[in-house]
Amino acid sequence: MKRARERAARQPRFEAGRFLRRALLWLLPVAGVWLLVTPFYNRFLIAGVENLLRMSERPSVSRLSVEGTHHTIATRTDLDRPAGKVRVSDIHFPLLMLAAFFLAVPGVALQERFAKLGWALLASVFFHLLSLFFWVKFLYATQQGAWSAANFSPLAQNFWGLGKHLLDLPFKFAWPLVLWVAFFPHLLLPQGNPED
Amino acid sequence: MSKARKKPASASASPRHRRGPSARVWHVYRQEILFLGIFLLILGGGFTLLSVNAVNDQVVEPFTAAVAKVSGTVLDLIGQDVSMQGTLIRNTHFAVNIRNGCNGVETMIIFLAAVLAFPAPWRARLAGIAIGMVAIQLVNLVRVVALFLTGVYFPAFFDSSHTVVWQTLVILFGVVLWIFWANRFAAPRTAPAATPR
Repeated sequence: MKRARERAARQPRFEAGRFLRRALLWLLPVAGVWLLVTPFYNRFLIAGVENLLRMSERPSVSRLSVEGTHHTIATRTDLDRPAGKVRVSDIHFPLLMLAAFFLAVPGVALQERFAKLGWALLASVFFHLLSLFFWVKFLYATQQGAWSAANFSPLAQNFWGLGKHLLDLPFKFAWPLVLWVAFFPHLLLPQGNPED
Repeated sequence: MSKARKKPASASASPRHRRGPSARVWHVYRQEILFLGIFLLILGGGFTLLSVNAVNDQVVEPFTAAVAKVSGTVLDLIGQDVSMQGTLIRNTHFAVNIRNGCNGVETMIIFLAAVLAFPAPWRARLAGIAIGMVAIQLVNLVRVVALFLTGVYFPAFFDSSHTVVWQTLVILFGVVLWIFWANRFAAPRTAPAATPR
């Protein structure tokens, strides 16, 4: 009896090997869709963040223009040169991993996987808007030399700098994992509550 | 959130389910909330620490230089005849500068945070961290070498390969490694009623 329980306890809850194979297979169609959608999604993000920036300014001086497929150039009417260039596609390429992870989960109906992916993508849109907003504010606060120092306090410079750093590296890369655990909590974490 | 966690309708009559909505969410999803909270806390803390100049200069830069040195040695072994200067690797055709984001530290911290946040015995955590760090650095080594070769032989693909392809693959590797660890070695499972197989 005890041995059987131990053996059952040693058995993996989740077919990780199957999950990995499926994730790698899903990466190809997901990458295809991402490449097709990226030019339109970049324009949407650029327009959305330009509106957010202008709403946060008095007077509204920011202008984000599209450059090519992947970039945006931030300009301000009170600056005589562009504030900087951001590669917008770099903000949202972890969507590849997110979609592959959500669609590869074994033992869950495809419809449910797509439904959860839809909610996760919606949450990701807000995350991407916030990331690009911080990127542009970071350019204003820290990359304009004397102008930055004159218009942003050291506290504000650190706030936008650290915020951009955290959103651009750890949270961007951890975002797919966070959403995956949040939407499929029963896959890896021990089920039930110790009090149960 | 998932079908597996839904309680049967009859359970709503028990005293436990007469709690307020937030208490009920906490009761049902405590493990998940704790995991995500601790994970994000360690992640944010770790990366804030990395952004401190002293930590960057005393820890990250020497570590990145070591990554560059090992990568340069491997590139030399496969006949690329490179020279190294700090975090810079170059030959007559191409040069790369290994910077933050290219040294595998981000993936290591994400992996570390996920391992520490997961409910597991400390022994399993320490073993996971030790093996995971080495494995992530090995994959990152492959990445740096592959990127250098891409820069030499297929320079047009370097940018997309650098950001989209290899960053995705390295992070994917870290996450999958954590999933394997969590699934196979970490938490004691809630064994089903002992039915011998």
